[in-house]
Amino acid sequence: MADKRTTVDDAVAELRDGMTIGIGGWGSRRKPMAAVRAILRSPVKDLTVVSYGGPDVGLLCAAGKVRRVVFGFVTLDSVPFDPHFGRARESGDIEVTEYDEGMFGLALQAAAQRLPFLPTRAGLGSDVPRLSPQLRTVRSPYADGEELLAVPAQPLDVAFVHLNRADARGNAQYLGPDPYFDDLFCLAAATRFVSAERVVPTTELTEGGPVQSLLLNRSAVDGVIEAPRGAHFTTAAPDYGRDEQFQKHYVDSAKDPERWPSFVDRFLSGDEAAYRAEIDRFATEVAA
Amino acid sequence: MSGAASTTAASGAQQDYTSDEMMSVAAARALENGKRCFVGIGLPSTAANVARRTHAPDLVLIYESGTLGSKPDVLPSSIGDGVLAETADAVIGVPEVFNYWLQPGRIDVGFLGAAQLDRFGNINTTVIGDDYTDPKVRLPGAGGAPEIAASCHEVFVVVRQSARSFVEKVDFVTSVGHGSGKGDRERLGLPGAGPTLVITDLGVLRPDPETSELVLTQLHPGVEVEDVRAATGWDLKISPELARTDAPTAAELSTLRTLKEASR
Repeated sequence: MADKRTTVDDAVAELRDGMTIGIGGWGSRRKPMAAVRAILRSPVKDLTVVSYGGPDVGLLCAAGKVRRVVFGFVTLDSVPFDPHFGRARESGDIEVTEYDEGMFGLALQAAAQRLPFLPTRAGLGSDVPRLSPQLRTVRSPYADGEELLAVPAQPLDVAFVHLNRADARGNAQYLGPDPYFDDLFCLAAATRFVSAERVVPTTELTEGGPVQSLLLNRSAVDGVIEAPRGAHFTTAAPDYGRDEQFQKHYVDSAKDPERWPSFVDRFLSGDEAAYRAEIDRFATEVAA
Repeated sequence: MSGAASTTAASGAQQDYTSDEMMSVAAARALENGKRCFVGIGLPSTAANVARRTHAPDLVLIYESGTLGSKPDVLPSSIGDGVLAETADAVIGVPEVFNYWLQPGRIDVGFLGAAQLDRFGNINTTVIGDDYTDPKVRLPGAGGAPEIAASCHEVFVVVRQSARSFVEKVDFVTSVGHGSGKGDRERLGLPGAGPTLVITDLGVLRPDPETSELVLTQLHPGVEVEDVRAATGWDLKISPELARTDAPTAAELSTLRTLKEASR
């Protein structure tokens, strides 16, 4: 039985400059933040980041890791915009491929199916194709002759996703209300890392929820990382909700270039154990 | 035009309400009982939940996060609000929402907002300003609106009306309404009817059946045609059958306010 357990730093060490990475979750929800933090600590750069974006995108942009963002949106849910992402776009430091959510999903689905594209009607007649000159239309070869937008596949070199539970072999389970697109991210990627709140024996997965809650099976996963509070400060319900206090602190710090370095020093310069200790201390300070 | 209106309801009782409340109530009334309605957060969600509590208890609310038949007791704060999943008939994945519900046209009414809307009901939620790379304002983006606009049987747009938001031509076509006029949707192969109703804080606009240009068909109480013209960035045509919206009833207002209060 293959034991795929690894550490978040070993997983990130497999990244190379210029790679295309997919980041699971959605907005400020179940983001693989432990992996994002490890990327921030690593020397890797020039990444193309593919994400239903949340603070993952903002943090990676702020650290200068990003060449291009492929996205359907970037939002922190309770806060509409990520300040770092806004600034990166304003400054022109990053390139963007801005899709709507449906087209973004089709790009991942096409990659997951190893097809060159998938067709859609959305976007026909809009200004979206003008922004993305790589977009082409395709005509149905059947009697209907319909012309459709052909959304090109968005294959990923590496995908990072965070789930509630996993076993050492790479079966992984979500216990919250929404799978998001984590299965698609893994199916679209050449190398797949899942982090989980807890790594448990396989029997505990099936005891913990219906078999349908096993979103990922071991043939779609290459590495398993135990990362308690690995989605913090985004939600990983039911293990924990979003840390709104901390998210607010992130946003306030991100808005102010003078304050941002002290946020990085305090929260993003150590390993995950140091991060957990520091967010606990922050929670105590806020409560006081 | 101030934010508040005052009129005498049919009952004879004096009712005070804001123009936003009138807009929400007018949008709620437009939703027929039993329809499947795709709802965004904010004004659309408010209107749909008022409708469900008044004349349309069997309205099926579908939120983009994959909740079918949500019956929230408070207004959701975001599309991922737990109350949507907890009160749903079914929860499906977002790809299913797009692949199997939106694109095939299984939704009766798609409810959209807009930062800018033009005379043919095209919607901009991407950028204000001509230059995409260096806009005056960068907006949240498309979300799922292009799919909704393409394939729902009908689209209702709920938006506050001003000369800045109602423009001759949108700076960026995020979601296609009637394109550049009658026949464009057919030519593009977009199966839904597009925007059939635009509900604002001043009145209601509908596409002219001959040209697909939005014309004013209804005025809310206390609003005059000149108010609406002043808040429209093109030479607005007025329907010969211009009607007057009924003021919100006491029941509609109390439903709306109770819902808003509970959601604080």
